[in-house]
Amino acid sequence: MAGVTLDKIVKCYGDIEVVHGIDLNVAEKEFVVLVGPSGCGKSTTLRMVAGLEEITDGTLTIDDRLVNNVSPKDRDVAMVFQNYALYPHLNVAENIAFGLRIRKVPKDEVTKQVAEVAEILGLTEYLERKPADLSGGQRQRVAMGRAIVRHPKVFLFDEPLSNLDAKLRTQMRAEIKRLHKRLGVTSIYVTHDQVEAMTLADRIVVMADGRIEQIGTPMDLFNHPKNIFVASFIGSPPMNQIEAEVETRGDKLFANFGDNSLELPALNELSGSDHGRKVTLGIRPEHIMTQADADTSSIGVELDLIETLGSEALLHTTVMDKPFVVKAETHGDIKHLENLNAFHFKPGMIKVFDRETGNVFDYPERLK
Amino acid sequence: MSNMNLYSRGDKFFVRINMVLVGLFTLATLYPFIYIAAVSFSSGMAARSGVVVLTPVEATLAAYQNILVQPEFWISYGNTFIYTIGGTIMSLLIVIPGAYALSRPQLLGRKYWNLIVAFTMWFNAGMIPFWLNMRDLGLLDSYWGIIIGFAVNAFNIILLRNFFESIPSSFEEAARMDGANEFQILWKVFIPLSKPAIATITLFCVVARWNGFFWAMILLQDEDKVPLQVFLRKTIAELSDDHEFSASLITSSFSAETVNAAIIVCSIIPVLLFYPFIQKYFNKGILLGGVKE
Repeated sequence: MAGVTLDKIVKCYGDIEVVHGIDLNVAEKEFVVLVGPSGCGKSTTLRMVAGLEEITDGTLTIDDRLVNNVSPKDRDVAMVFQNYALYPHLNVAENIAFGLRIRKVPKDEVTKQVAEVAEILGLTEYLERKPADLSGGQRQRVAMGRAIVRHPKVFLFDEPLSNLDAKLRTQMRAEIKRLHKRLGVTSIYVTHDQVEAMTLADRIVVMADGRIEQIGTPMDLFNHPKNIFVASFIGSPPMNQIEAEVETRGDKLFANFGDNSLELPALNELSGSDHGRKVTLGIRPEHIMTQADADTSSIGVELDLIETLGSEALLHTTVMDKPFVVKAETHGDIKHLENLNAFHFKPGMIKVFDRETGNVFDYPERLK
Repeated sequence: MSNMNLYSRGDKFFVRINMVLVGLFTLATLYPFIYIAAVSFSSGMAARSGVVVLTPVEATLAAYQNILVQPEFWISYGNTFIYTIGGTIMSLLIVIPGAYALSRPQLLGRKYWNLIVAFTMWFNAGMIPFWLNMRDLGLLDSYWGIIIGFAVNAFNIILLRNFFESIPSSFEEAARMDGANEFQILWKVFIPLSKPAIATITLFCVVARWNGFFWAMILLQDEDKVPLQVFLRKTIAELSDDHEFSASLITSSFSAETVNAAIIVCSIIPVLLFYPFIQKYFNKGILLGGVKE
């Protein structure tokens, strides 16, 4: 088992720099998920760790060994590809055994290890089948089998579930989590799906435009997004944003937008002198209340649409001409939601971002 | 079952016209072979009088008996096998690694290498310089002259290179992660995945070498080294010039026509036998299931 350290990693294609000096330390046995929109550099970063892309600048160490110029086969890492990349001319057993055969592992040992891996992944009865005769989920399991049979120091997953349907994706997600618990191998997982990131990761790395925006545990990212990008990327539905101006009334802070005024939490980084400062409010759909409480402030709304999810419903409206979504409990019926005309906010549930820099005010010291 | 009418009258007419055209084309290509086979089994008189159309007339094996007793026939037959098998193997040994190298993005100066290879398809030195080159290399009148001299075929290289390029890069990357080196990637991944393309160029090579007549005639003087096609030409020429033979034909059951036809049949048979073995590789979808795009 081993850790992976990226120190100021840069990737350029010709004159174009696509990854701008990334620092990341993946601890031994840790499951780290790189998440971000398409083109943010997450797959490129993973491929640099794999050795499939050259590192333009910076250093990469695996298990305290500098591997910048080490070929993929000598890095002792295994990768699961988005499109499976199973050898179509080989059956399941041969696909899993491919890496061992290349490394001249004795035949008996190969047979034993393939059988073990097939057992773990529930592939025993499919060992003689060709990839074309397998379902999507089974193929993805074979791809994982091919990775784990070699007992590598690090697993790399490049969006392994994005070709599966929603139901299968949920199943496979759980299987990957279980597999990681069982094998305890350091893993780096790339996805653009924040749900996958939240459910799988010990720590999530949010990337945008070739830079790391924030690193933290799923709950840290959910509760304490460092900036508007992370706030809008993590969480489903995403955090609502309202552009507002700060108003100070005595020692209290308020945010004004349109005819509305919401009380803000007390913030060390915002004071009386910030009166009139332009900010963006971030409020999670699940933190908005449909009934008033003692310390809540409210805004009047007109609902456009109610999406029923079962135990919950998504209430759609617009605030300051921007979509605004609230997640409310249905308690088995949505009638009580249909006539809502106001939403209520507790100050502690509102995040305040500087509109100029996009950064949140009062980002917790322990996360810096 | 309901008889669904999925095709319009125009579609059906189009399909029928196609079938008629394909049928005519098939007949046009098949008939010469049937005719030659029929002539080879007919009597000399029947062949000369032009009464053979579809089946042998006055059936006889005389033409075959005449050629099969000639040692030159067997020597040239054996030579053809040497040139075909040796030439094809040599060609594949050069074309496959060459095409693989040219298909790799990491090949230094790849664009220029490709241009140089393609250039030879449009322009070449011509017959005399080629002959002089072969002479200077000591490859005249030599088995190696035919085997090596025609091993590199730019068209086949480009054909296979394009096929290699169409193989998703994740196969190569997966093999690389699994620990494979370039040779293993080629041997264990690319070649098995490229069976249809390799079967195609193998067929091209086999047919080209089997039917290779012109350069064999130019480069080979030694009668013990000539292939069947050159022997066939020599036999045709000799039979037409041999007055004694012509005189004997009046009483003989074979003629120059039937002997020629018999040699042609003998030269076609191996290719006919070979084709079904590689036909199974001409199937699509070998990449099916390997990747999901």
